[in-house]
Amino acid sequence: MSFSSLRRAALKGAVACAFAASISAALPALASDAVLRVSAIPDEAPTELQRKFAPLGKYLEAQTGMKVIFTPVSDYAAVVESLATKKIDLAWLGGFTFVQAKIRTNGTAIPIAQREEDAKFTSKFITADPSIKSLADLKGKTFAFGAPSSTSGSLMPRFFLQQAGLNPEKDFKNVAFSGAHDATVAFVAAGKAEAGVLNASVWDKMVEAKKVDTDKVRVFATTPPYFDYNWTVRGDLDPVIIKKLTDAFLKLDPANPEHKEILALQRAAKFIPTKKENYDGIEKAAHSAGLLK
Amino acid sequence: MLLNPANRDPAARGRLIGALATLVILWPLFQAAEVKPGALFDSGNLKVIGNFLAAFLPPETGAEFLGYLAKATLETLAIATAGMALAFLIAVPMAYLATGAGREKPTLNPITRSLLTILRGIPELVWALVFVRVFGLGPAAGVLALGLTYGGMLAKVYAEILESVDAAPARALRHSGASRLLAILYGLIPQASKELASYTVYRWECAIRASVVMGFVGAGGLGQLMDQAMKMLNGGEAATILLTFMGLVFSADGLSGWLRRALDTPPANHASPFGWRSIGLLVTLFASIVASFQLLDIGFGELFSAEAAHSIGEFIAGFFPPDLSAEWLAKVAKGIWETLAISVVGTLLAAIAGLLLALPKWRAPFSFILNSLRSVPELVWATITALAVGLGPFAGALALALHTAGVLGRLYAEALDNAPPTPGKALRLAGAPGGFAFLYGTLPGAAPQLIAYTLYRWEMNIRMAAILGFVGAGGLGQLLYFELSLFHHAQASTVIMAMLLLSIAVDQASAWLRQRMR
Repeated sequence: MSFSSLRRAALKGAVACAFAASISAALPALASDAVLRVSAIPDEAPTELQRKFAPLGKYLEAQTGMKVIFTPVSDYAAVVESLATKKIDLAWLGGFTFVQAKIRTNGTAIPIAQREEDAKFTSKFITADPSIKSLADLKGKTFAFGAPSSTSGSLMPRFFLQQAGLNPEKDFKNVAFSGAHDATVAFVAAGKAEAGVLNASVWDKMVEAKKVDTDKVRVFATTPPYFDYNWTVRGDLDPVIIKKLTDAFLKLDPANPEHKEILALQRAAKFIPTKKENYDGIEKAAHSAGLLK
Repeated sequence: MLLNPANRDPAARGRLIGALATLVILWPLFQAAEVKPGALFDSGNLKVIGNFLAAFLPPETGAEFLGYLAKATLETLAIATAGMALAFLIAVPMAYLATGAGREKPTLNPITRSLLTILRGIPELVWALVFVRVFGLGPAAGVLALGLTYGGMLAKVYAEILESVDAAPARALRHSGASRLLAILYGLIPQASKELASYTVYRWECAIRASVVMGFVGAGGLGQLMDQAMKMLNGGEAATILLTFMGLVFSADGLSGWLRRALDTPPANHASPFGWRSIGLLVTLFASIVASFQLLDIGFGELFSAEAAHSIGEFIAGFFPPDLSAEWLAKVAKGIWETLAISVVGTLLAAIAGLLLALPKWRAPFSFILNSLRSVPELVWATITALAVGLGPFAGALALALHTAGVLGRLYAEALDNAPPTPGKALRLAGAPGGFAFLYGTLPGAAPQLIAYTLYRWEMNIRMAAILGFVGAGGLGQLLYFELSLFHHAQASTVIMAMLLLSIAVDQASAWLRQRMR
């Protein structure tokens, strides 16, 4: 094998890149009609999100007549950014990620539906350390939030901690971001962090599924209620499709066995309409906690 | 006996002062890294780790999971290959512009040089994190990140290789009227070809490791799976992924070793430079690059549309001007200090452990330990050490130490092997015990090399320490992750600049130290 063969190989590689690039550029253009691209903030493991979404995706396909493609991601901000750059059409957002999306899209993103439960959502503070009995005992401990831009795993707990006179960066020994609510439970159960906070809905689900040993890990504080999750569309999506999607969510009926499965996976009693103003409180909290500038 | 001036080590005073000075410098760094060896042996922590490691067995072998795993493995390979193809495209013109080779006067191009420094100085993980935001979901971010950082590294090394070979043929060509391009092509590249090709292949091997790590920020591939499994402390899945990963690294290692040996064999004695082997290689290379881009399905058309350009412009504009308020700078300074501490403590611990593992004469079991240590990426070690000592800088330092011990141990063993054997032998024959013969005979001969390796590794570790914060080890990484998540781009850009400056400063310090130690 001589040098010149390698050089030629490299040149051919370059040609191949250009070739492959032109092919891959042509492909999406062919198939972009009648596709609804959906994603969700990764507040749980991506495999779990895919499992949860599958029946809902089928239902939305039937209701809108569009092909539904779900892309799982592992980063909250990527979902917001994708909605703002129109790479996705519909997203499951948290209250704070919705506020971020609203700001990134100059107020055009539209929340279309939320679960009944999201109107009075809470976060649970958990620990496996017997000496922690109240928020004040957290001083000098290691603490795990979920993702930095999570509403129930970071923003609202931070806001309520602040109201209780605690500043995580100053008062805690170490602050970590587990990235997802179920990961926070794993952190605390394993002693990787002495305490943590997560979304009440995921906590209840994990307790029901016996995925957490409640003799060891216990809840020692709960936040006051606030508005959380919703389904948001990008503002320049065809209004007919927006209407179809909104109706599809609101039509989900727990009395219908097929719908019941979808609702159960989404951990929703039913879906209710929502509006931007519902999230003004979150926006204020984010400013006051220093997460929005 | 020690008091007798004739028997005293003449260098003792200098050494004592040196040791004290080192201690004074290192002490605050150890403080900042929150070193607390006690935590390692805390019974609670040991139990947690034990449980986690016990869960590694049996490795997960469910069909559904293996399906995910196969897809992720292919994706990782494709990201590495496509990223290298891109890096090569970037590196060739940049190297041409940056190198002093083939010029009448050996002037270097300062603009290209500084651009290369920026490309290399920002860790690929940071590029990936930024690109995930700009280009959205999927492996495009990983490919571009690899392309840029590795493009910068390849260009620098290509430029230096071209400068290091004999310049006479190129000069002769220039004097007889050839253009600079032709002079380099026909005067320099034939001499440097083997080294150039060998380094490129070695980098591809590194790219596979790096593409795994980038999965941790959502750029797809094995890393993304690993991140999930580690976060959820799912031992079985983690074990399977780790085994796959080690297999991948070992086979890439083997393949690149084979390719480099193939480059050493002289070409067969026939007129055409193309044998069946080079044709086969060409076809394979060509096919794998095309296949990589096909598999990843990167919409380059979308990436480079006017709309994308607009959103990228907006995104980048958000980074300027960086936040230089005193309050934020103080926070960043604390991050820099912590990152520096992690890198120094990690490298020192690694040097000690690596040396101990390099000493035993019977190599086989220790080579295996060293290879295993270094095939697990630092970010993965960090998830495990965080269980052992809790979250924080010490976990990061330990993670660095474990991975680096594997790398350094191997290099140390080779350096000790190559050290001149006579002084040690002479001491032993004169009746010195084995330990002393080693300390005063063998070690001094190998020391300059050992120190150089350690300092080189420190340069790489400062970059790694800057990003270990993504998994909770504090320092600049955690600041960056937090600020980027919140779209605080002005603050994030200060952190990226701090990372860049820190890595440049460490490069300089290490170069200075290497020169002093010579």
